[in-house]
Amino acid sequence: MDSEKIFLLFLIVFVSTSLLIVAGIVTSLIINSYQIFLRDGLSFIFKNVWNPVKEDYGILPALLGTLISSAIAISIAMPLAISLAIFSAEIAPTSIRGFINSVSDLMASLPSVIYGLWGLYVLAPILNQYIMTPLYQYLGFIPLFSTKPIPTNLFTAGVLLAIMITPFSSSIIREAYNAIPHHLKEAAYSLGMTRWEVIRTLLGYIKSAILAGAFLALGRAMGETVAVAMVVGNTFTLPRSLFDMGYTISSLIANQFPNAEAYSYMMPALYGGALVLFMVGLIINLAGLYWIRRVMTRG
Amino acid sequence: MRLNKRKIIDRLMLGIISVLAIASAIPIFAIIVNVYSEGARYVSLNFLIDLPPPPVGGGGGGIGPALVGTLVLVALALAIGGSIGFFTGLYLSEFSHTRLAQYTQMFLQVMVEFPTIIVGLFAYMILVAPLKRFNALAGAIALSIVIIPYIALNVREAYKSIPYTLKEAAFSLGVSAPIAYLRILLSAARRGVLTALLIGLAKAAGETAPLLLTILGTTFTYFGGLDQPINAIPLLIYNFALSPYERWHQVAWGAAAVLLTIILVIFIFSRLIIKEVKV
Amino acid sequence: MSWAIEVQNLNVWYGDKHIIKNVSFRVPKNVIFAIMGPSGCGKSTLLRAMNRLLDLNPHARVEGQVKINGINIYGDNVDVTWVRRQFGMVFQIPNPFPHLSIYENVALGPKLNGLVKDKSQLDELVKQALQKAYLWDEVKNDLRKPASMLSGGQQQRLCIARALALKPRIILMDEPTANLDPVASSKIEELLLELKEDYTIIIVTHNPQQAARVSDYVAFLYMGELIEIGETSTVFTRPSNILTEKYVLGRMG
Repeated sequence: MDSEKIFLLFLIVFVSTSLLIVAGIVTSLIINSYQIFLRDGLSFIFKNVWNPVKEDYGILPALLGTLISSAIAISIAMPLAISLAIFSAEIAPTSIRGFINSVSDLMASLPSVIYGLWGLYVLAPILNQYIMTPLYQYLGFIPLFSTKPIPTNLFTAGVLLAIMITPFSSSIIREAYNAIPHHLKEAAYSLGMTRWEVIRTLLGYIKSAILAGAFLALGRAMGETVAVAMVVGNTFTLPRSLFDMGYTISSLIANQFPNAEAYSYMMPALYGGALVLFMVGLIINLAGLYWIRRVMTRG
Repeated sequence: MRLNKRKIIDRLMLGIISVLAIASAIPIFAIIVNVYSEGARYVSLNFLIDLPPPPVGGGGGGIGPALVGTLVLVALALAIGGSIGFFTGLYLSEFSHTRLAQYTQMFLQVMVEFPTIIVGLFAYMILVAPLKRFNALAGAIALSIVIIPYIALNVREAYKSIPYTLKEAAFSLGVSAPIAYLRILLSAARRGVLTALLIGLAKAAGETAPLLLTILGTTFTYFGGLDQPINAIPLLIYNFALSPYERWHQVAWGAAAVLLTIILVIFIFSRLIIKEVKV
Repeated sequence: MSWAIEVQNLNVWYGDKHIIKNVSFRVPKNVIFAIMGPSGCGKSTLLRAMNRLLDLNPHARVEGQVKINGINIYGDNVDVTWVRRQFGMVFQIPNPFPHLSIYENVALGPKLNGLVKDKSQLDELVKQALQKAYLWDEVKNDLRKPASMLSGGQQQRLCIARALALKPRIILMDEPTANLDPVASSKIEELLLELKEDYTIIIVTHNPQQAARVSDYVAFLYMGELIEIGETSTVFTRPSNILTEKYVLGRMG
């Protein structure tokens, strides 16, 4: 009897440690940032200034950078993720499906610094030469493309993020698709639908999974630090077009942290940015988990 | 007539899907090819052992301190994060009806998606600021925190997938709960648990953001103690790649080749383990 | 008369569902005692209440007493692992530990419970258990092979050997032949008739003919209530309850 109770206590200690860590992280964000919110209030989030000498900080460009790069990432990644999922689940010959899934899983486990290195020296120049510069030259009148591109900018960050989050999103959709009851597929075919029409119908059936995949991938894109920091340009300006260099909140923190100890309010500013990032990311991830739960209870 | 149009759209869409799917898989192959073609030439035994070269001039040099640093940090992270993660996962599986388990599982699922830079900020506050210098322990703790949710959730899956009748068989032998869970059932779940630990290992070896704010990335000492700065392979890649020196870019590619190899080996190993179960 | 096990006013709930309703009976030593009844009547639950395996289910609640040698196993200060060691249990679907060898499956219980001092004693114990389960001759050259390689019937006999290795007083069997073919089933039934010389056997079965074939005493459980209990020959030829009569004549689920 005693050994059972002791064992349970033992386990609970570890579980509590996990919980304490989560609580500790959130707390650390709050207690290290309240100074800047106390002084500037919410305007801190919407100011466009980074002046350490005057101790004036605002994270608007970084916030916009996070949103823009993530938006680019998710709009590129979703069609790719859905296509990859469908291709693996429906179109590819069965013999290579395992291989495709393994490749996808490998992509998901690659360290982000390797993505960053490759992004910086291989992807960025290619994007610059074949996509960004032509778009600027021929469609530069559109505000989105109106800046002369430098290889490391928000667009490159967005594309790199898309590459990084596609496999994760794809595996969620693929599993949901494979879990669709066989008789539904049969019913669709028996109505004389073409393969594409069946796929389209079934995709509607797994809408929750697609939304879950989208939200979770978006959350991941917003939080990614290192790969983005290597390709986004790290310039504190308000982005006017997709091709502007910029910052994201996470790359701002990574970049400015070495300087932070020298100034009184920079550290709170960085923790404050982290808090904002955390809150936004939390909402998005909770939305994603909500949709995952919908997928579970449906199936 | 209508059927023909539908057939055309069908072919078209299937084609587009296939193209997009293949396109999404191209980057991984490109990355592997690029990393090895750019970096493999620098990798040698000396490369793995030596101090980094000066920014300009001179050949040779290597990633010795960073490699040692990665080994130290990963070992610590796996020990700390692995044990917390394992016992948490065991609890989540076997006591899943309790409120504590339900809340913890939710928190862990959120933590998996945490921006890892935030973990670095936390580790900075509790370990770097008090010691007033960057240190290896802070980095190890930060890495532990990052891998705990992965290990816990995967261990939970591993134990959950043991058939209930085996659990009954184990307990019917009249052994105590610790022995049942940790000797009999752990053995039944060992493939899943091992996979969980391998995932943790790969993450600890490859994560950079938690290290940015904690270990400093000193390049000239191999190991000065847990309370001293230290380097790690991912951090070296990050710093050297962003530096303005061509020589250091080369070292970064070489280090990337080493890191990629480590990850590939872990990945293939974990696939082989899972395959055994299917057979 | 000393009883192998005494059940007194046993009630079991799963959440709000009342599964076992005020069941009381006594099992003599060295007999085969069958518990029969239609599916879902609570037989498996009743069995698991006896070796406190029900404790594993967080939603199960037990009231009443189960006594071995006069000790109420549900009393305070009773070591549940001691309780479980008094029993050997065999399950409906043969469940040897698939990741262990034939030898290790039988040796695990004694090893973990410290029943033997050295390897040679353990070897001897494993051999005896496998002999008693009528499996030794078939596996004596393959002891290191994984248990999953055996046929269904052999696996079930391995599980019986695993149960016997702990030298229990009582063997609990939860529909042990339900998933076996007729040949394997009859082998196990023969085995039971031999085992009762050294053990008390409580066997749950959904097949009244099996109860009639092997048991000395039988209890008929219906919807969690003990309808009738007595010597097998009596219950089957002159049942005193109409429900029992319907069941043994095969007119019930």
